Amino acid sequence: MKDVLISAKSLKKEFYTGETSQTIFENLTLDIYKGDFTIIMGASGAGKSTLMYSLSGMDRPTSGSIVFSDKEITEYNDDELAVFRRKNCGFVFQQIYLLEKMSLMDNVLTAGALCNDNKKDVIKRAKELFSLVNIPEITQKKFSTQVSGGEAQRAGIVRAVINKPSVVFADEPTGALNSNNSEAVLNVFTKLHREGQSIIMVTHDKKTALRGNRVLYIRDGQIFGDCDLGNYSETDNERERKLDRFLTEMGW
Amino acid sequence: MRKIKSQLIYNLKKDKGSYISFGIVVLITAIMLNLAFVLLFQVDKAYDDKFNRLNTASFNFTILKIQNDDTLKEDIRALDDVVDIECREAVFAEAVVKDFRDTDFSMNTLFYNKDEFRNMNKLDIKEEKAEMTDNSIYLPLYVSAFGEFGIDDEIVYEIGDTKHSFKVSGVAEEMQYGNYGKGLMGAYLPEKVYEKFAEEYKEQTVMEYSVITNGDINTLQNEISDLTEKKGITMLTSCDRVSTKDTRTMVCNLIILVLSAFAMIILLVSVFLCKFRISNSIEEDMVNMGVLKALGYTGNMIIAGVVLPYLMVTVFASLSGVVLSYSVLPVLAEILTLQAGFSFALSFDIKGLICVMIILAVIVSLFTYTSAKRIRKLQPINAIRGNGEGKSVKKNYFPLDETNGRTKFLLVMKQTFSNGKQNVLLFGVSFVLTILVAFAGTMFYNVIIEPDNFISTLSEEMPQIIISPDMEQEDFISDELKSNTEIKSVLKYAVGTVNTDDMPVTVFACEDFSRVSNDLCYLGENPDEKNEIALGSAFEGKYDIGDRIEMHNGDISHFYEVTGFVQSVNYQGNVCEFSLEGYEMLCSEKLVPALYVYLDNPADTEKIFKEIEETYSDKIISIMNYQKMTETTQEMYSGITSVIVVVIFILTILIVLFVLYIVIKTLLVKRKQELGIYKAIGYSNRQLMIQTIGSFLPSSVIAVLLSSALGMIYVPKINQFIFETIGAMKNNMEVSFVFLMIFAFVQITANLIISILLTKPIKKISAYALIKEG
Repeated sequence: MKDVLISAKSLKKEFYTGETSQTIFENLTLDIYKGDFTIIMGASGAGKSTLMYSLSGMDRPTSGSIVFSDKEITEYNDDELAVFRRKNCGFVFQQIYLLEKMSLMDNVLTAGALCNDNKKDVIKRAKELFSLVNIPEITQKKFSTQVSGGEAQRAGIVRAVINKPSVVFADEPTGALNSNNSEAVLNVFTKLHREGQSIIMVTHDKKTALRGNRVLYIRDGQIFGDCDLGNYSETDNERERKLDRFLTEMGW
Repeated sequence: MRKIKSQLIYNLKKDKGSYISFGIVVLITAIMLNLAFVLLFQVDKAYDDKFNRLNTASFNFTILKIQNDDTLKEDIRALDDVVDIECREAVFAEAVVKDFRDTDFSMNTLFYNKDEFRNMNKLDIKEEKAEMTDNSIYLPLYVSAFGEFGIDDEIVYEIGDTKHSFKVSGVAEEMQYGNYGKGLMGAYLPEKVYEKFAEEYKEQTVMEYSVITNGDINTLQNEISDLTEKKGITMLTSCDRVSTKDTRTMVCNLIILVLSAFAMIILLVSVFLCKFRISNSIEEDMVNMGVLKALGYTGNMIIAGVVLPYLMVTVFASLSGVVLSYSVLPVLAEILTLQAGFSFALSFDIKGLICVMIILAVIVSLFTYTSAKRIRKLQPINAIRGNGEGKSVKKNYFPLDETNGRTKFLLVMKQTFSNGKQNVLLFGVSFVLTILVAFAGTMFYNVIIEPDNFISTLSEEMPQIIISPDMEQEDFISDELKSNTEIKSVLKYAVGTVNTDDMPVTVFACEDFSRVSNDLCYLGENPDEKNEIALGSAFEGKYDIGDRIEMHNGDISHFYEVTGFVQSVNYQGNVCEFSLEGYEMLCSEKLVPALYVYLDNPADTEKIFKEIEETYSDKIISIMNYQKMTETTQEMYSGITSVIVVVIFILTILIVLFVLYIVIKTLLVKRKQELGIYKAIGYSNRQLMIQTIGSFLPSSVIAVLLSSALGMIYVPKINQFIFETIGAMKNNMEVSFVFLMIFAFVQITANLIISILLTKPIKKISAYALIKEG
């Protein structure tokens, strides 16, 4: 029996444009389990990212409840959410969003300083993580504009996990990368998952989705399908066929 | 123009807040500049117009009637360049005006027959009663306005120990004397009243000669002085149009100086601001500029799109400022009339408007153009890629893994150093504005907290009480007063008039200049021996220390050795100092100096004044509460100074507000994405506000503290410059370090509050919006 990490009940999200409103999802109920690499898929505009950012406390649902590690986060104010995020969430974005005026190392330490006052410990962990994602020391000192997209995104992953978050939220992390860089980044996610890191990732890409062990499909504002793929293995072709069948069923 | 119209409108819309802030700073500058220009162009002209309209003489002097020589008039008329000459009789008296703004005001006064025909030095009657009484008097505008005497009020002139009560029946404006600074004033009596008055003061009846010349005033004075000397005639009083004008327009000139200086400082701030905004908007809009270039827009067209909005704002704000300044001008004119002793109406001045517009438009265009001209060098493809003039290699300030210190503190330092331009701007602006605050603060300190410093700079000796004793009683009263425990000291002091080169010079004679409360000597030493003299600043250049100078008083003359130079704002430096023995050598009769009484506690003046008045009523000729008179003068200056200080403070805070608004807004726009990222990784609003404020406030705090501390050096120099322009070669203004620091902390607190308020929009930046917009 898996432990529930995030429990969302009766979630509703509406966007307002002037006087007109658009409902993204309504009465959506979902559990996310600890240690899972959960993939969220769906058509463009289905509300994948909106759901993910609602679960992470980055965005607020219009109504409903989200219990994250036994805490109701929908009642938090902005600053409480900030504190919650720094302790529990790591974010990896499609556009990477590293701080441009800082080196890769400084980007990581800026996040690390939030949860650990012992600077030496933070630097040590940052170096270990950089080594894990294959970024050499000389590259760590470069600005994000001076490295490749893959290197920058891997540094983004290091920043996301520096504070040992409960979950890493990744929003199409390979969307802006070429295939070689995508592969390197996905390998990092797999490595982290194998070490027990919970991950929620939004993607359009079937190959990326294969890295997860659970795939959720969102359609018409609901979780339309939920597929258990089992853990990733490079040689397991059955997983790929299972995912294909699932996506075909979902109308992908 | 049509081609850049859309760009211009886009720029104006995009940066509304910054343009409004810039516009307000320009508006304040325009108000100040226009006030200065209108005063500069109109007061001088108004003075000259009135001077000419009243056919005022270039030079007036008086001699005792008994010395008058019938040939003198013709001899003067025969001098080169003399256009006209007129003689009239008057009574000269060293009078004390009672209840002049609730105190006694000592004033050399010439009483004239108002009804005597005047071709020169005409009177412009401002107000008068239809019916005269047997004690009617017409007062000059200065005495009426400043002394607060209205029609039908009673005014008492005390001459010696006789009090003359008059009823104010009219107010006359004249351009001959003017204000207290000349040390001489007129009063105009109806014929019958004058005849009675002159009968009483036969010995003090004088002949006044008024001369109009086309030539040099100094030459005329020297020629007349030679004539009177040859004839053995002594001048009692004299005044020329140049020094009279200088005295009457002194405050006006000072205001023009201060307004221009302040306007220039604020203008400097505003051009720094637009330079800063332009270089930031180039960075923000680089991609758009690249696209425009790629579409075929030329560099100059894009530059025009950047420069023109500033120019339009400048033109609009300048015009508004000029218009607004006219609501302030009547108040300013009223204050100046009080001090200048002549009324004038300030009207719309096209020259002022043109000057303001040209100065502001040219300077702003110049600065905006030089800031924007790098647009021309932008390569379209680099600009579209956001690289500007090429890929810039940034420096990673304070690498977090290599620099000791707390990460959160180092983050602030990183931001501070990576926003160098913004911090240089804030440092410069804060430093310059602090100069204004330090100057205003020092004025406040010296006028309100330590008023003696200011008043003594403008005045001469300042005892609390002045007693004119009976000749035989002087030593007795002096000894008795000295034994009074509440009295700190008693000094024998005499004020009079002597002549040199036959020109009258005011004398300050004292038994011991080392004990005076207000040492006027700014160069060399005060006289100590009877053959020594210290000359007023008007003589500097003509004589050196060690020179000998001959002084006359009637038929008596002596040579004195110059020991130093003294200042006197009120007499334009036309004064001298003697020891009592030295002065006595020039007096035909025994000199009876006044007793200057100094108290341990000046607050007790009124009480001790009354005690002395009662105790020695039969032994003294007159007694004056000089402290009260000082306070009256002080009251006038403290009122003006308080207004100036408050205005400067409000202006400073306003400018700081606008500067910070532009800087913070620029910063928030530039850092919007960065702040979103910080928020996404868990930084709270509070942390980000502290981090942001921490990145720019230190430069402003350091500038304020540094500028305030340096105020100890530059404020005395500013004071020196300003006071020298009004003839105070040595000023007693004190610069209090503590006070400068208090003002600095008030300024820093204001900056902090403004910064907190302006960084609040950080709360509205959402991490999620970053993802949505990205």
